[in-house]
Amino acid sequence: MSSEITTTAEFLSDDPVKRAPLVDPRLDYHSVTETVSAIAERPKPPKAWYAAFAVALSLTLMLFALIGYLIVEGVGVWGNNNPAFWGFPIVNFVFWVGIGHAGTLISAILFLFRQKWRTSINRFAEAMTIFAVVCAGLFPGIHVGRIWFAYWLFPVPNQMEMWPNFRSPLLWDVFAVGTYATVSLLFWYFGMIPDLATLRDRARSRLSKILYGVFSLGWTGSAREWHRYERSYLILAALATPLVLSVHSVVSFDFAVAQLPGWHTTIFPPYFVAGAIFSGFAMVQTLMVPARRFFGLEKIVTMRHIENMNKVILATGSMVGYAYGIEFFIAWYSGNPNESFVFLNRAFGPYAWAYWIMVSCNVIFPQLFWFKKIRRNLLITMVIVMLVNVGMWFERFVIVVTSLSRDFVPASWGYFKPTAVDLLMLLGSFGLFFTLFLLFLRFLPIVAMAEVKGVMPHDHGPKEKGAPESAGGER
Amino acid sequence: MEKRPLEHASTPWRSLDELEDTPEFRRFLEREFPAEDPEKPPKVARRRFLQLMGASVALAGASGCRWEEDRLLPFAERPEGWIPGKPRHYATTMELSGVGQGLLVTSYDGRPIKVEGNPKHPFSRGATDVFAQAAILDLYDPERSRFPERIEGGRRVRAGWKEFHEFYWPMRSALRGNGGEGLAVLCRPSSSPARAALRETFRRALPRAIFAEYEPLNRDAVFAGAKEAFGRPLEFHFDLSKADTILCLDCDLLRAEPGSLGYARDFADRRAPEGGRPNRLYVVESTMSLTGAAADHRLALRSEQIGPFLMALEGLVSGKSGAEAGIRGFLAEGKAKRFVEALARELGTAKGRGLVAVGSRQPSWVHALAHRLNGRLGNHGSTVHFRVPEVETDQTASLGALVSAMASGAVKTCFVLDGNPVYDAPADMDFGAAYAKVETRVHLAYSLDETSLASTWHLPMAHFLESWGDARAADGTWCLQQPLIKPLFESRSVLETLAYLPEGRWPDAKKLVRDAFDRGPGASGADWRLSLRDGVVKGSRAGLGVPKLSPKTGGANAAPSAWESRARGVELVFDADPKVHDGRFANNGWLQELPDFISKLTWDNAAFLAPRTAERMGVSQGDVLRIGAGGRSLEIAAYILPGQAEDSIFLPLGYGRKEAGVVGGSEARGIPSPGFDTYALRTSAAMGFAEGAEVVKTGATHVLACTQDHFAIDEIGREGRAEKVHDLVRGGTLEEYRKDPEFARHQSHVPPLESLWEEHEYEGRRWGMTIDLGRCTGCNACVVGCQAENNIPIVGKEQVLEGREMQWLRIDRYFKGDPEDPEVVQQPMTCQQCELAPCEQVCPVAATTHSEEGLNDMVYNRCVGTRYCANNCPFKVRRFNYFNFNKKLDYDPDYRIARLGKNPEVTIRHRGVMEKCTFCVQRIHAARIPAKNEGRPIRDGEVVTACQQACPTGAIVFGDLADEGSRVAASFSSDRSYQTLAELNIKPRIAYLARIRNPNPELG
Repeated sequence: MSSEITTTAEFLSDDPVKRAPLVDPRLDYHSVTETVSAIAERPKPPKAWYAAFAVALSLTLMLFALIGYLIVEGVGVWGNNNPAFWGFPIVNFVFWVGIGHAGTLISAILFLFRQKWRTSINRFAEAMTIFAVVCAGLFPGIHVGRIWFAYWLFPVPNQMEMWPNFRSPLLWDVFAVGTYATVSLLFWYFGMIPDLATLRDRARSRLSKILYGVFSLGWTGSAREWHRYERSYLILAALATPLVLSVHSVVSFDFAVAQLPGWHTTIFPPYFVAGAIFSGFAMVQTLMVPARRFFGLEKIVTMRHIENMNKVILATGSMVGYAYGIEFFIAWYSGNPNESFVFLNRAFGPYAWAYWIMVSCNVIFPQLFWFKKIRRNLLITMVIVMLVNVGMWFERFVIVVTSLSRDFVPASWGYFKPTAVDLLMLLGSFGLFFTLFLLFLRFLPIVAMAEVKGVMPHDHGPKEKGAPESAGGER
Repeated sequence: MEKRPLEHASTPWRSLDELEDTPEFRRFLEREFPAEDPEKPPKVARRRFLQLMGASVALAGASGCRWEEDRLLPFAERPEGWIPGKPRHYATTMELSGVGQGLLVTSYDGRPIKVEGNPKHPFSRGATDVFAQAAILDLYDPERSRFPERIEGGRRVRAGWKEFHEFYWPMRSALRGNGGEGLAVLCRPSSSPARAALRETFRRALPRAIFAEYEPLNRDAVFAGAKEAFGRPLEFHFDLSKADTILCLDCDLLRAEPGSLGYARDFADRRAPEGGRPNRLYVVESTMSLTGAAADHRLALRSEQIGPFLMALEGLVSGKSGAEAGIRGFLAEGKAKRFVEALARELGTAKGRGLVAVGSRQPSWVHALAHRLNGRLGNHGSTVHFRVPEVETDQTASLGALVSAMASGAVKTCFVLDGNPVYDAPADMDFGAAYAKVETRVHLAYSLDETSLASTWHLPMAHFLESWGDARAADGTWCLQQPLIKPLFESRSVLETLAYLPEGRWPDAKKLVRDAFDRGPGASGADWRLSLRDGVVKGSRAGLGVPKLSPKTGGANAAPSAWESRARGVELVFDADPKVHDGRFANNGWLQELPDFISKLTWDNAAFLAPRTAERMGVSQGDVLRIGAGGRSLEIAAYILPGQAEDSIFLPLGYGRKEAGVVGGSEARGIPSPGFDTYALRTSAAMGFAEGAEVVKTGATHVLACTQDHFAIDEIGREGRAEKVHDLVRGGTLEEYRKDPEFARHQSHVPPLESLWEEHEYEGRRWGMTIDLGRCTGCNACVVGCQAENNIPIVGKEQVLEGREMQWLRIDRYFKGDPEDPEVVQQPMTCQQCELAPCEQVCPVAATTHSEEGLNDMVYNRCVGTRYCANNCPFKVRRFNYFNFNKKLDYDPDYRIARLGKNPEVTIRHRGVMEKCTFCVQRIHAARIPAKNEGRPIRDGEVVTACQQACPTGAIVFGDLADEGSRVAASFSSDRSYQTLAELNIKPRIAYLARIRNPNPELG
């Protein structure tokens, strides 16, 4: 079949009779290695990388300068006020944790479900997860009033014999996010070992030989190693899978366990998980579409991948939309006046603008993905996923701020206004995220070469250059 | 092994090893007692040694660094009965506008830290107002004047008392020679008997000197009215315990009258529907006052319409009908007509049990009319009691005479003893220009102000807690004022200075007070020491019988326009601001940040105007208006206040100070001053209100910092609020109460509740509180009392705008009904000390936990500041230190003195920490210790929280719910009690008692 294929579009036909190849069939093992390794091996990155890195790094530095200012002055530099004791930092935290969902979902759950198309994008997504979790982990840490005592949230033995309060969802958060960050990091690193070994073998400079050598942990690629490796990968995947569901469920407990109307809702755990996957995929897409173009990865990350991810976005976006609807229904159905007030207030009160930004970005625009043409249009895809990113940030803003600003006692109602520090720190967190991401693009194998090779049609594909048969081994 | 020979058979040995002298023992010996010092310093060359020594000597000589020399003088023998760290309480008196308020001041190791009401005071019965509560902050104000200064062209030059004395002594001799020619003294009026005696001495010594007394919030019209009615000026006070029907005409009877503290108590005692017949309060006024908010029926009229209203009322009471009684114009229609008719019928039947009270901003003829009506209704001697006035009765004239003397150049030397006439004299007098013509201008003042800057000498005045004095309470009771502390700085009181002026010698102030006492009540047998201990002289209430009404009491001089329902132009109404009074408290941060009881405005005054008036003028909240009247104009921000009379603008006095300090603003130092100076429009002809003002919008806006949103709110918010407030603040009419006394509890149905956790078992005490909404007037005394007791910082206007005010106790105010004629409901809100506290469960570090006695404790040094507790608090009563609001105390050396005013029993919270009401846990502990020592339980009433103590109406009751005989237990389980948000299963330890209104069935 492959000999007839001349364009990328053609081999992506959804003819159910044929099993379509997952990457461009013109690729062979060698060209995969070449394409991916070349990115990290270039002696100098392109100028655009430098430009992007300069911007991202300055934003990161600004973020840390602002954190310094925050520590010196106090959390009053933010817009948090009396009813809205939580503001941007918590919104940002939940936003970034949500983003950090796609990676592990793609790596672990799709791996267990044998969704082999994941191989082209999983490294990318996992890296994104790690960096998003770094950004997320930053905010709760600096959010507390006395940052120098933030470690009291950990169960550290101490002379006061004081333990944290195990009833508090914030404590659960500490454990959930901590576990998630650890497992995601392990999983990401573990999956990267064979590829790091490839880079090590090809490395020319001494420094990269040493560094890649150390981090590839002496990988030789023997069959025995592959056997052990794949077993452990499977186990890690199995361990990571429940975490995908647990982290955001626990994050949602911060709200659901409180008695505040608008927070105190049993729908929150599934709703948060769906939203997290939704935002995570949107962020993967946001990064992937330009990167594949920029680094010439179109043959590995094909249109089919883009389309599949758009389908996931459509599905999860609809779930989120359903959750928005059911919240309203339950608010009315429960007959609880506080509950119904909070939802009416969200949609028509002083924060209506934020609510409608959220609804249109998260529910309305992703519906365009019902159309195949739109799913396959990179430009429109980019616009929609950007909107989803915005919408999901606003979702957390709406949940946190509108519920707090008008609760039980009207005399204490207020209106939250962010300060410049709030806005700049949000921007700075993107700087941090992109700084880490650009470093990843520069120095690490951005596509899981070994895994891609595993899903290539190696048996009866065209062998123009006589690719080595034994390199990747079969899965 | 070789044995060591013993030197002597009797040499004792310590161990067998020693005896045998083993090598191990020798090594041990070597280690323990080395022959040579193992840490011997390395050898130093002689030259190097000399170099070092030389350098050290040189440096030691060159440096000025040495330990600060200080002496410690511990008590070798402790004074008898004095226990360090144990607070003592002394009775004293604070005089404000001629009224002595009985105080009991807590003093720690000689420094006063908390002012409370004196329970032995017969009139106020332990109550205080916000000014007394905030006095501590003034005492330790870092900006107090510390020594006499010369003012040379606005520049302050440090001088001393000696220098001043040398300056004054020759002048004094000359004055004694010419009988005081060219000398003028201006004081704030006082009811002090000692002062009255001094004034006589002064007059005798310097007969030609001018002695003037003035303060801007005087009651000239009140005395003039009495003169019209009785032929002589009379002072009076009311007995509200006997009044069934009370009518207040532009009169803030429960807050701003001389006897308000006592009135509020008597009024509240008659509100409880459980006991007997509740009273009924009618209020007719131009702006919403505290009394208006408490009224059963309120009618908003322009101030100029109050007179016509009273005329019509009198006509109806005396049996005239319709037009004959003066029912015309605005009175002939709608609510006003029904109101006056129903009121006339009720007053007519309540002979001897009614009361008509008129506020001091009304002209004299209205007062005279009220006296006549009270007399006709037989209220004199029953609800109204008369006596001879102690204060100057025509202060505006007194000041006017002084100003014209100064302007004519007749005054060479002017002493202004306390008071700030450059700022607060009537605008038409132009006090400043006249004052500038005086050669020597001496100003005794607490801190530098506008008048000080216009003077040539500025002398520091002592705080009332530092000086001796006396005063008359609102009912004429003789009160003694004893100092709690020696003056912190070189300052003198007005009393001392008045005695100094003719004599040139500083008197013994205690003797002045004692002499007055001995001539007065002392002569009739009162004991000085007992009186001093109690702060009041028992049985010293002055009184007259019922005076005779003169046959022709003042004519009715209302302008014809007053009858029109719409004014020509706009009426301006001037009165005291409830927070800074006449402006003298402008530099007090607690008062500046106190939310105004009705507008919830902090750090500003504003022009209050009715919603309909604002709508017609196209004015919205915060718009800056230019108000012109009589050729003068003022720019001021607008505040739209429901319940304000149409076409009437209320201008609170006391803001826009040009020189007050860091808090109150200073033009010279470039510190913006809060609010707007409304004295600019107040003339001696119209001290109360002025008609025919022009108002235009300037187009500018001013940001007003309110702690609660004003009534303009989106539709969703309005509806949600109405529903919630109905549930939170419960109340009903007497009729509803009689039908179902537990109606408040029955108002909402709570499903059976189950706890998620195993609940606490309370075996011992269960602290609890009740707040009677029927008694609460919203006067704010509790808010300031709490702030003083618990070291609560102020945060400034910017932070209030951010919603970060720190007061632990707030008074929630809601309007109900028509914005032009609203009902006001208020609810003091503080930590409810929930038994199943939502805040405790969510704190990740367990910084807020429950005590065995049911207190929701906040552990400041465990708190990391996640603020989750505050999010989960349904009442939002937790306060977070977003910044270090006590920074100045830590770092500014000038503010070291302010530390003295802090309560040593309460932690000063650092930034990043959550705080909230503790039920005054320090007071509970203070009561626990003696109880434990005496082996008895804490008695009911032994623990009094700061808010409870300050409350003039006794609305707050605190105690042990487990003690069935306690007042709080009875009140907690009373018919009217209910708990807020009970459906959340939080089990609050505060119960509110529903407010029962007593409307006239005729008015519905």
